[in-house]
Formats: sequence, C-alpha cells, structure tokens
Amino acid sequence: MRLGLGLPELRGSLAGDHGPLMALGFLGTVISLERAVALQQRWGYAAPLTSGLGTLASLLGWAIPGGWLLVIAGVLLTAIFVRVLLLQPALHTAVMGAGAVAWIGAAALWLAGHGGLPMATWLAGFLVLTVCGERLELSRFTRLETSARVLFLLAAGVFGLGLLITLPDAHVGAPVVGAGLLGLAAWLARYDVARRTVRTQGITRYMAACLLAGYAWLAAAGITWMASGASYGWSYDAKLHTIFLGFVMSMVFGHAPVIVPSVLGVAVPYRRIYWLHVAILHVGLLTRVLGDATASLTLWRAGGILNEVSILLFIIVTAITSTRATRERSRGRRFSRSGGIPRTSV
Amino acid sequence: MVDIADLLHKPPDPERVVWELLHRVDDPEIGVNIVDLGLVREVEVGPDGDVHIGMTLTTPTCPLGPYIRQEIENCLGETSWVGYVEVKIVWTPAWNPQTDMTDRAKRELGWIR
Repeated sequence: MRLGLGLPELRGSLAGDHGPLMALGFLGTVISLERAVALQQRWGYAAPLTSGLGTLASLLGWAIPGGWLLVIAGVLLTAIFVRVLLLQPALHTAVMGAGAVAWIGAAALWLAGHGGLPMATWLAGFLVLTVCGERLELSRFTRLETSARVLFLLAAGVFGLGLLITLPDAHVGAPVVGAGLLGLAAWLARYDVARRTVRTQGITRYMAACLLAGYAWLAAAGITWMASGASYGWSYDAKLHTIFLGFVMSMVFGHAPVIVPSVLGVAVPYRRIYWLHVAILHVGLLTRVLGDATASLTLWRAGGILNEVSILLFIIVTAITSTRATRERSRGRRFSRSGGIPRTSV
Repeated sequence: MVDIADLLHKPPDPERVVWELLHRVDDPEIGVNIVDLGLVREVEVGPDGDVHIGMTLTTPTCPLGPYIRQEIENCLGETSWVGYVEVKIVWTPAWNPQTDMTDRAKRELGWIR
C-alpha cells in the first residue's frame, strides 16, 4: 500500500503501523513463543498470547488496549529472560533480555503516540539485541576469547547508549545508534560461527549464507544511520529496511526450518528452492536502497515489490514444504510392536 | 558403524546402536552431530525397545528442541525395534564447550588444528 499499489485498505493507519505490527505483532509473537517453548513452563506462553491479542486488537482498531497488551507482552518476555538468567546466568541471555526491554520501550512509545524514528529505533533495538544475543551464544562453539567478548560489549554498549540518547534527542542519538550497528555488524562478521559453517553444505550452509548477508545489511544500516542521522524522507526508508528486511528478514528466512518446527510443531525440511526467496529478498532490497540513494521512485517501488514477492514466496514455499513433509511423515510411519506409531516426547 | 542387521533386529547392545545412530543427527546451525557436540547425556533402551534419551541444549533459550526431537525420531525410525522414544531436556550440568565437545567436534570447529 505504501508503495502506491492499488490495494484495498483494511484500516486507516494500518499501512503506517506496519512496522510495529510486523516487528512486535508478528516477529515478537514468534520470538516469545519460541522462548516459551524452550523454557517449557506454562506461564511462559502468556507472553506470545498477550502479544497475539495485542496485535489482533491493534488490527481491529482498538489502539489503546492493543498498545497496552503489547507493553505487557514485552514485560512478560523480559520475565522469561529473568527466569532463564536465574536458571543459567550468561551474558548472551542478558543481551537478549535487554532486547525484550527495548520491546517494552518501543511499545510504550507507540502507545504514547511517539511513532516515527524514536519508536523505530527501539523496535530495531529489540530485534538487533535479540539476534546478537543469540549469535553471541552460538559463538561459544568457536572458543571466543575474552577480548572478543569485550569488543561485543563495547559495540552493544554504544548501540544501547544510542537508543537512550534517541529519547531526548534523536538527532544526537541516531548517529550513535549507527556506530553501534556498524560495530555489531563488524563483530558478527569477524567472530560468528557462520564464517566457518558457510563452507559446509545443505541447511547449515544455507543458514550461514542468510546470516552473512544479514550482517552486510546491518553494516549498511550502520553507515546509513551515521550518515543521515535522524532525517526522514528517502534515507528513513533505507535506515529502516536495511535493518528490518536486510538483517531481520534474512535471519527469519535462514532459520525458518528451525523456527517453524519449534513454534508450530511441523517439520520444514531444507530444500534448495529456499535460495530463491532469499535471492529475491536481497536483490529487491538492493534495488530499493539504490532507489533511496538516487531518489528514484521507480527503483524504490520495484525493490519494494520484489521484497513483498520474496516474503509471499517464502510463506508459500514453507507451507508447501511443510505440508509435503507432514504427509510423507505420516505415510512413512511404521507401526510399533504395540500397534501405535513411535511416540516421542520432550 | 551401524550394521543393517542392527536396524532390523534388536541387537544385544541396543544403547551402542542408538548412540551410533544419534551421530547422524546434526545441529543444523553448526553442521556437527549432537553426540560430538556433547549435547547427548544418556541413552537407555528398555527391554521392550522403548528409548529414553537425556540431552541438553546450549542454552535454555535455544529453540532447537522440537527440531532435534523430530530429527531423532526420523533417525531412530530407521530401526524396526524402537518403540517409545522419550527425549528429555536437562539443564544441569550446563553445557560446557570446553569439556563436553569431543576432539572431533573441536577439530571441525577450529579449536584443535
């Protein structure tokens, strides 16, 4: 709709609210559901449930109850991380917990009517810190030295400082956020296990390629935020979509074979066709950002359409793969000695 | 090595066969199997072919549990004698890459040259 396509409108401000609804409503619900599944405690499901209800309320036009529910969902997700920290204290969990706190900040800003850059910055804070915390955790496979952890803390600290400064003064805060993003991208490119696993094959290589492409976009985001500060217009489109599409959506595409079984309980085996929607996403975003850089409406629109095509294709391919896998699985299941199918429980 | 006969008929040492089969289940993010990563803690096979697997994940926030459970089910489904499969996730002791990973995994991940 925002690309100027003649699509039917559901609700007045829906197109303008697609950022928080995608970041908190869709990704936030999936992420909190993922954590609740991992925690294996019933109360943890209150976070995705509240987030889902908040999103539904917002979609139906009940902005205030919807906003409050999203704030509460952020608090519940933070509580999950506090529980995990009590279970196993670790820096990477604290970083993901800081991401959940950024969710609360973003939802509160949205509720208070402070949309635009400050809210978008805190939405980015939620997703960037969540992903970076996960990557820090996985970097333990590569025998991370203390100096590398210090560098991570430095980059994350600059990013967090930028988030805080954005509240009173977005013009000062935005370049600091950019420096933090660039620092985190450089750290990930240097220390992430994906550098090694991209040389393997199959699903592992696919996931690593998605990660590395995401890091390139995070670096591009850092440079854009540093160069354009808090300005709106063309650079605002680039500032947001390099993070939310280039970095975050690339992670989602890469991790779908793991995330979907976790949250929906259905298998999504790796298929080579997955590379297609990943390629369309990145080509589309490159076209869009070129449009932003040259103020070309044609390029911007073409890139945006490709981005939408990539997401639609991702949903369709994932649904088809999952349905086929479920069918094959039920066909291939043999009867056990007791006459039932092999049972598994976690 | 798992012999085809071990898949068709319950072997005298079923735990060994299950351990061997679990070497085929990779952590998708790392590309190394869950046994060499030190994630599998215990395997028990009952007299009726029921399998109990105790394993951990690298962190309590790790979303891999359901994925790995499916992979384990697929893998053990190659046998004709496995019945009930229970995968129990435990958090203590916490996974420690230094002490839990085998030399093979460390070599693949660049810890050992």
